[in-house]
Amino acid sequence: MTRTYDLVHRTTYTYAQPVTDSYGRTTLTPRDVPGQTCLATTLDIDPAPADTAAHVDYFGNRTTYFGVTEPHTRLVVTSRSTIEVSRAAEPEPDRLPTMPWEEVAESVRHGVATADEHALVRLREALLPSPHVSRTQAVRDFAAPTLTPGRPIGEVLVDLAHRIRTELTYRSGSTTVHTTQDQLLAQRAGVCQDFAHLMIAALRLHGLPARYSSGYIETRPPAGREKLRGADASHAWVSAWAPGAGWVEIDPTNDQLVDDRYVLLGWGRDYHDVPPLRGVIFTEGRGAHPSVQVDLVPSGSDPFV
Amino acid sequence: MGQTLPVTDLLSTPVRPADGSDAGVTLDDFRPDWSRVVDPGDEPTPADLARAHAEAERLLADHGVTYGADAPDGGAHPWRLDPAPVVVDEPEWTALDAGLVQRAELLDAVLQDVYGARRLLTDQLLPPTTVLAHPGFLRQVDGLRMPGGRELVLTATDLVRDGSGRWCAVADRTQAPSGAAYAMEDRRVVAQVMAGTYRQASIQRLGPFFHALRQALRDAAPRESDEPRVALLSSGPASETAFDQAYLASMLGLPLVEGGDLLVREGRVWMRGLDGLERVDVLLRRVDAEWCDPLDLRAGSRLGVPGLVRAVRAGTVSLVNPLGSSVLENPALLAYLPRLARTVLDQDLLLPSAATWWCGEDASRQHVLTNLARLVLLPTARGTDGGAILGWTLGHRERADLADRITAEPWAWVGQEPVGPAGPVVDGTPVGVGSDLPTADGVGPADLGPRAAVLRTFAVAHRSTYTVMAGGLARVAPQAVVSSATGATAKDVWVLASSAEPVAETADEAPAETLVARVPASGISPRTAENLYWMGRYAERAEDRTRVLRVVADRWDDFHARPASVGGRALTVLLTSLTPDALPTEHDGGTPSGPAASASDPAGPVASRPAVAAPPALRALALDPRREGTVARSVRRLGACAAAVRDQLSTDTFGPIARIERALRDERARSRTPRSASSAADLRAVTAGLRPALDGVLEGLLAVAGIAAEGLVRDVGWRLLDAGRRIERAQHLVESLQATLVDQRAVTVDRLVLESVLTTHESVITARRRYQGGARVPQVLDLLVLDRTNPRSLAYQLDRVQEDLAAVPVAGASTDQRDHLLGDVVALVEELDPVAVSVVGTDGRRTRLAETLESMRWRLRSAADEIEKVHFVRPAPGQALEDLWDAPA
Repeated sequence: MTRTYDLVHRTTYTYAQPVTDSYGRTTLTPRDVPGQTCLATTLDIDPAPADTAAHVDYFGNRTTYFGVTEPHTRLVVTSRSTIEVSRAAEPEPDRLPTMPWEEVAESVRHGVATADEHALVRLREALLPSPHVSRTQAVRDFAAPTLTPGRPIGEVLVDLAHRIRTELTYRSGSTTVHTTQDQLLAQRAGVCQDFAHLMIAALRLHGLPARYSSGYIETRPPAGREKLRGADASHAWVSAWAPGAGWVEIDPTNDQLVDDRYVLLGWGRDYHDVPPLRGVIFTEGRGAHPSVQVDLVPSGSDPFV
Repeated sequence: MGQTLPVTDLLSTPVRPADGSDAGVTLDDFRPDWSRVVDPGDEPTPADLARAHAEAERLLADHGVTYGADAPDGGAHPWRLDPAPVVVDEPEWTALDAGLVQRAELLDAVLQDVYGARRLLTDQLLPPTTVLAHPGFLRQVDGLRMPGGRELVLTATDLVRDGSGRWCAVADRTQAPSGAAYAMEDRRVVAQVMAGTYRQASIQRLGPFFHALRQALRDAAPRESDEPRVALLSSGPASETAFDQAYLASMLGLPLVEGGDLLVREGRVWMRGLDGLERVDVLLRRVDAEWCDPLDLRAGSRLGVPGLVRAVRAGTVSLVNPLGSSVLENPALLAYLPRLARTVLDQDLLLPSAATWWCGEDASRQHVLTNLARLVLLPTARGTDGGAILGWTLGHRERADLADRITAEPWAWVGQEPVGPAGPVVDGTPVGVGSDLPTADGVGPADLGPRAAVLRTFAVAHRSTYTVMAGGLARVAPQAVVSSATGATAKDVWVLASSAEPVAETADEAPAETLVARVPASGISPRTAENLYWMGRYAERAEDRTRVLRVVADRWDDFHARPASVGGRALTVLLTSLTPDALPTEHDGGTPSGPAASASDPAGPVASRPAVAAPPALRALALDPRREGTVARSVRRLGACAAAVRDQLSTDTFGPIARIERALRDERARSRTPRSASSAADLRAVTAGLRPALDGVLEGLLAVAGIAAEGLVRDVGWRLLDAGRRIERAQHLVESLQATLVDQRAVTVDRLVLESVLTTHESVITARRRYQGGARVPQVLDLLVLDRTNPRSLAYQLDRVQEDLAAVPVAGASTDQRDHLLGDVVALVEELDPVAVSVVGTDGRRTRLAETLESMRWRLRSAADEIEKVHFVRPAPGQALEDLWDAPA
C-alpha cells in the first residue's frame, strides 16, 4: 500500500531595503530511500538566480546552491515535489530489536556491529558530538531513567521519545537555532528540532548511534473540518541505529515511529548539516524574518498556490 | 643591545653527531661551532654578534617585520631574530630532505583518501574517529579534487632534536602554513648583518623553494586557464602573521586580497577591481578553511567569500591548500604514520615523529592516563583548548580534571612524549608550584633543556615530487613551549652546500622573473585603492603638521620670552591660528587662561596671555599618537595603510616610516612637557629637542614622498596615492590661509606672520626672490593660490588631482558631483583677484577673501567625500539569512 503526496514548501523573505546579492543553499528536495521515492521535483527561486548548482552531499542528500544577482526586496524559494511513500502505515514498536542497549553500544564500539565497513564508519560518526548536539551532565541526568541496565534497545528508543513528548512542552517560538540541550532541559519547552537534538544527545552519550532527519509530517484536520492549506510545517525527528533493524526512524515530538504520513528530505549529524534553506545576503539594510508555507497533501488535491 | 647570547645551539648539527648508536649526545654537543662555516680566526666575536644583533633589530624595524595582531594599542610586536644561524651539515640535511619529501607524499595520499574513497578508514588503518571527530574534516568539500594530481600542495613540519640528537617531527602544518616569508626575511637580514661570515660560508639558497611554489600555484590552476591568475587570500592586517602573508605575496608577485575583495558570480571567483571584475583562478589560502565561505562553511565569517565552495566544486578555482587540508594537523595521525607509510607507500617511515598516543584507543588512553605526569597533552583540534598542556606542570587536582576530560571525550586528546636535546628527565626533581604539589607521583622532566628549539621546514609539491626549502624557520624559546606569540626568537637556518656545487650568488633574491601573470595594475581592489589614497593623505597630513610645528617652534624659541614685542605678537597669532589645539583650554591644569581670564586682567599684555598662562602643548601635537591630527598619529596611520598594501609597495617604503616612528618614540621617551608655566626653564622646555626631532621626521617623510615620486610606476595605484596627497595639501593650504590672512594686524606683525605662512608652505625662498619689497597678502595669494608653477600652490594641487582622478577607472558610479565640485574650486581660483580680495573692511577683516576661501574649503571637503563615495565603495558585509528554525507561516 503506497501513498502519494504533493508537497509545496515556500519560504519568503521580505526586505526593507534592496538586497543586491543573495547566495543560498537548499536541502528541500526529498531523497530516495527505502519506503520513499521522489517522483518529480522542482525548485523555483524568485528573482531568478544567475547561477544554480545541484549536487548530492556527503550524507547523500540532494542540495542546491543558488546565487541571485538581481537587486530585489523579496526572495521567494518554492520547492514542489511529488513523493510516493510505501512505509508501513502502523509500525509496531513491539517489533523493534530487543538486544540490551549496552550490547548495541559495545558492538559499535568494537566495530563488530556490521560487516559493511562503510556503514561502520557512518555508525562511528553518529556517536560523536556535532555542532548542535553536545555531551552534558544535564542530558545524562535526563536520560538516566530510560537507560537502565539491560533494557532492550527498542524500549529505550520508545521510552525516550515518550518521555520527551510528555515531560517537555512543545511551544513555538520558545527556542532558536542557538538553544542548547542544557537550556532546553532548564526551560522544559522547545520545538521539534530541539526534541530531536535532545534524543540524539541522550543516545550518543550512551554509545548509541543517532542522526537527525529533516522532513515533513502530514497533518490531518479535526473531524468534520477542512484542512488548512499551507499550514503544515517543516519537521524533524531522530534516526537511531539498532542491530537487525538498521536505522529506526522515531519522532519524539509526536511520540511515535515514523509511518506513511512522513516525508523525508534528508539527514545529517544534526540540524547544522541539513537546514532546509540557508543563505547570505548583501544589503545596506537589515535582514528579515522569513515566512514559511508548507503544504503536504495527498496527490491530486487542488494545487496550493 | 646587550642581549645574552645563547650558550647552546639546540638545532645545529651536534658537534659530535649521533652515529646511530644509542649513546646519544649530551648538551655539551650543542654549542655554536663556527668552524663549519668560516676559516679559523674568522669566527665572529661576541662583540661582532652583539653588533649584528642590534643591526638586525634595526633592519627588521625598518622593514616593518612584526608578529601578532595589529591592534590599535599595538598588539603586534617586532619580529625577534638572533643573527647567529642554525648550521646543518649537508649529509644530515640530505637525509632530512628525503624524510620530509616522503612525509609530504604520505600526507598527500592520506588527504586524497580522506576526501575520497576513505579506504584508510574502512580498512581501519586509520581509526575512523580520528578523522570524523576532527573539526578540520569538512564534509562540505567531500569528493572535491585539485587539478594537478596533488591535494597537499604546501606543507610545513615542526621538528625538534631528540635525546640522541636526531630529528623528530612534533607537528605538521597543513592548513595554511605560515613562516616561509619570515624565513626569507631572516635570511635577508642575516646575510646583511653577518655579511662577512655569510659570504665565506657555502650555504644552500632559499630561492628554489619559492620558484617551486610559484610553479605549484600555476600547476594548481583549473585546466582551462592558460594564463592563470593567482592571488593570495589574506586574513588581513589584523592577522598575527600579516607580515608573512603580505611579504610572501610581494615575493611571489601575487595581489594580496581579502575576502571582501572577492565575489562569486556564475560559479567563478572574481576580484573586484576599480573598473570591474577580474577572474581569479588560484587562491593561495591564508584563511583557515572553516572561515572561507559564510554560506557553506562558518556562517557569519567576514574573512571568506560566499559561494567559494560552490566555485571550487565547479572546478573554476583552486585553493592552495584545498579546503579541508587541516584534517592532517591532527596530532593523532603521528601515531599511525609508520603503519600508513608501510601500507600506502610500501616504505618505512624515514622521519620519526615524537612518540604519540591517541586516547581514542583503549590501550593508548590507559598509557596516557597512567603517564599524565610526564607527557605533553595535546587536544587533537588545534586552538580549541589553548594548545599543549605539560603534564608535569599540573597539580594533583588539575591532573585529575584533565583525566576526567580525557575520559569524557577520549578522541579529542593525544599524549606525546616530550622531546628535547636534554632528554626527558623522568627521575628528575618534581616540578610544579603551588600548595597541592604532588608527593608521590610528581616526577617529570625537570625541563626540556636550557631552551626549547623548533625548526619549521617547508615543502611544496613540484613536478612529480616535493621541493623542500633548504633551510627553514628556526625558533628558540626560554620555556618549553615555543611560540612566536609568547616571545620566541627566530634564527636563520644555514644548510651547508658541498663546495663542489657552485651556488648562484643571486639565488636568494626574490625571484626576478614572474612566472605567474600579474593582475593588471588597474586590477587593484577598492580596498587597496582606499589604502593608497589614505597613504597619500596621511603622509601629507604628517608633513603639513610637521612644517607648521617647525615654524611655530622656531618663533616660540625666538619670542616667547618677549610677548609684547612684534615677534611675540606674531607668535600669538601663529599659535592661535595654526596650532589652536596646542593651547590650553579653560579647564586645563586649573590655570585660568583664555579670553575670560584676559578680560578680567586688563593690566596684562592681552596678546601674550595665552602663551604665558600655560605653555602650548606643541610637543603633544608632534608626539602624541593618541590624539587626532598629531604628527605621530598621522605617521601611525600612514604605516597602517602602507602595511595593508605591502604587496603594492617597495620594501624601501617601510624604512623611512619606521625611522620616523622611532624618532618620535625616542623623543617621547626623552622628556615630558611641563604642566604649567612655573619657570622660564619650563617655557624653554616647550620646544626643547623638538626641532631636531621634527627635522628627522620631515626627512623621513620626504624620503617617503621621494620613493613614491621616483620609485613607483604611474599606474592607478600611484594616481590614487598622489590624489590623496593633493587633496590633503589643498585642504591644508586653504584652511591655513583662512586662519592667517583674513584678519589684518599691525604691518610689522603681519610681515612676520606672512613669512611664517610662506615657510610652512615651502615657498618663502621664491617669495623673497620674487617680491623683493616683501610679500604682502596679495603676493602671498598669488604665490600660494594662483601660481600653477608652484608645486605648493592650490592651482597646482587642483591640476594634479584632476589629472590623477581622470586616470582612475570608475565602475558604475557617476563622477559628476566630484568633478563639478573640483571645477568650482578651479573657477574660484581663476576668478580670484588677489588685490581686490585683500581689501580690508572697517572691521579689520578681509571679508571677500574670507568668503572665497570658505567656498573653496567646503567644496574641497565635499569633493573628498565624493572621491570616497565614487571610488572606494565596498559592499556592506554579507549577513546570514535568518534561520527557518521556527518560522511562522
